[in-house]
Amino acid sequence: MGGAAAINLGSGMEKKKIDDYEPIPIPHVRVDRFGFVIQELNDSPDGLTKNRSACQYAREERRIRKWRKMIGIGGSDWKHYVRRKPHVVKRRIRKGIPDCLRGLVWQLISGSRDLLLMNPGVYEQLVIYETSASELDIIRDISRTFPSHIFFQQRHGPGQRSLYNVLKAYSVFDRDVGYVQGMGFVAGLLLLYMSEEDAFWLLVALLKGAVHAPMEGLYLVGLPLVQQYLFQFESLARENLPKVGEHFTQEMINPSMYASQWFITVFSYSFPFHLALRIWDVFLYQGVKIVFKVGLALLKYCQDDLIKLPFEKLIHALRNFPEDAMNPDTLLPMAYSIKVSKRLEELKLEYEKKNGKPAEEPKGKQKHLLLKMH
Amino acid sequence: MALCTEEEQSEDYLFKVVLIGDSAVGKSNLLARFARDEFYPNSKSTIGVEFQTQKMDINGKEVKAQIWDTAGQERFRAVTSAYYRGAVGALLVYDISRRQTFDDIGRWLNELHTHSDMNVVTILVGNKSDLKDLREVSTAEGKALAEAQGLFFIETSALDSSNVAAAFQTVVIEIYNILSRKVIQTQELKKEDPAWMGSGKTIVLHDGNQEVDGQAKKGGCC
Repeated sequence: MGGAAAINLGSGMEKKKIDDYEPIPIPHVRVDRFGFVIQELNDSPDGLTKNRSACQYAREERRIRKWRKMIGIGGSDWKHYVRRKPHVVKRRIRKGIPDCLRGLVWQLISGSRDLLLMNPGVYEQLVIYETSASELDIIRDISRTFPSHIFFQQRHGPGQRSLYNVLKAYSVFDRDVGYVQGMGFVAGLLLLYMSEEDAFWLLVALLKGAVHAPMEGLYLVGLPLVQQYLFQFESLARENLPKVGEHFTQEMINPSMYASQWFITVFSYSFPFHLALRIWDVFLYQGVKIVFKVGLALLKYCQDDLIKLPFEKLIHALRNFPEDAMNPDTLLPMAYSIKVSKRLEELKLEYEKKNGKPAEEPKGKQKHLLLKMH
Repeated sequence: MALCTEEEQSEDYLFKVVLIGDSAVGKSNLLARFARDEFYPNSKSTIGVEFQTQKMDINGKEVKAQIWDTAGQERFRAVTSAYYRGAVGALLVYDISRRQTFDDIGRWLNELHTHSDMNVVTILVGNKSDLKDLREVSTAEGKALAEAQGLFFIETSALDSSNVAAAFQTVVIEIYNILSRKVIQTQELKKEDPAWMGSGKTIVLHDGNQEVDGQAKKGGCC
């Protein structure tokens, strides 16, 4: 699992957590189970600080065994299983991928594993031999990406170096996108679960659309896909939550004031990490619609409070959701129950009609491009 | 003048102020220092926009500054420029230890003028004045540019707090002064018509519900 695994002591170590044993790489620094430094004021950053009971532990073990069987050795049975029992896979992913298998499963469901196998040596070439116009911009942001995570804290340490490499490689691979602030959080999250090269190809899979619609429009000049998503989100919020929609209109709140970063970083920028991971599990399998669903679920969960607040308090509330709202086990089922697929499609067409040309490149063309890399 | 804490009765004036400038010049930390007296050596880069309000007391009047902190990277201008609309004040920030950020000030001024009123009260802020040994832009250069462009000028350090409050206060007091001059002039013209404030852009609110037309600021910014 490369450099990341060697240092990423907090994550994927379910057993150690249960035995209440935490390896601490730097003296006097306490980290949560994901590797984020625990601040005194922040009492339960990962929402799971309590020891689990033996029963819960046994259940988790059973879950991991089921997943291992489903994946097969090194992912060999995965495709077969998905074809045979797509509903089982979907249900299990929605419950959360076991942390120790997350890195592997993410690569399988995003299609990045295939890209990696099709393009041997490409990443190395990009990292070692190419130069990027964005190098200084990337360097400036490296220490500002997950600054509270132990893996990324050490100046020029392995975390910062691999983050730099992935971002630089991508900025060379796709010079139209280059480097945009926000990509660092996506790459950083991936690096906590896989090697540099794997993280790079997952980024490629997402932005170029290996499985779902390409998301490079989130970062291209003019941020066209951000604009489209915000338009879609605003309409969906109005339709699903008319009271909230009306209040937001009255207070002149629009989603660009609070939801841009939800889309640009897929909730990895400022949401509790354990929630972000659960969202990512579903996001990589089912695509961006989970971002809309979670956004709507957050508004829905808090709507009674939100509709009472004036502009400034409203903005504050939309950036600081209460802890109970961000519990994955209540928020996600609520998100799953909100249906958006059909309306998203219609709203996309509406947006394109309003703004001229489509915001995304056709999918087929991108795949072709990737195959050519080989 | 004194800074008030949050929550209290409704303010007399509400001014919208934007914080702009290249990425990593310290915009978010200036705001964090001003509004909460905090500083984060490795704060996350701002994605999109952030927002904060701060109340101040000027001549016995309560003034609230509604401050929009924007992402500095050029790519984000597509989503941040919308926030310039309706701004009556701007802090245009560069990093005294990085010349490039100073060279880009002209572009930021253009951006500001394209998307907002020409009369936005603007202060040029040379931040990170604590980095004495790394200085690449002299105080004299900063001052000269400010004079040429008709801007206020100040050097600040969000890290050691120096001049941070002054930077924001300079802008807010100036807006207040322009507004008071205008109010006095207009009152002389329209003494019998207290409803004159009824129309126009919602830029400056008076007593929380009456609006002052955007034209009220026409008095220049320097």
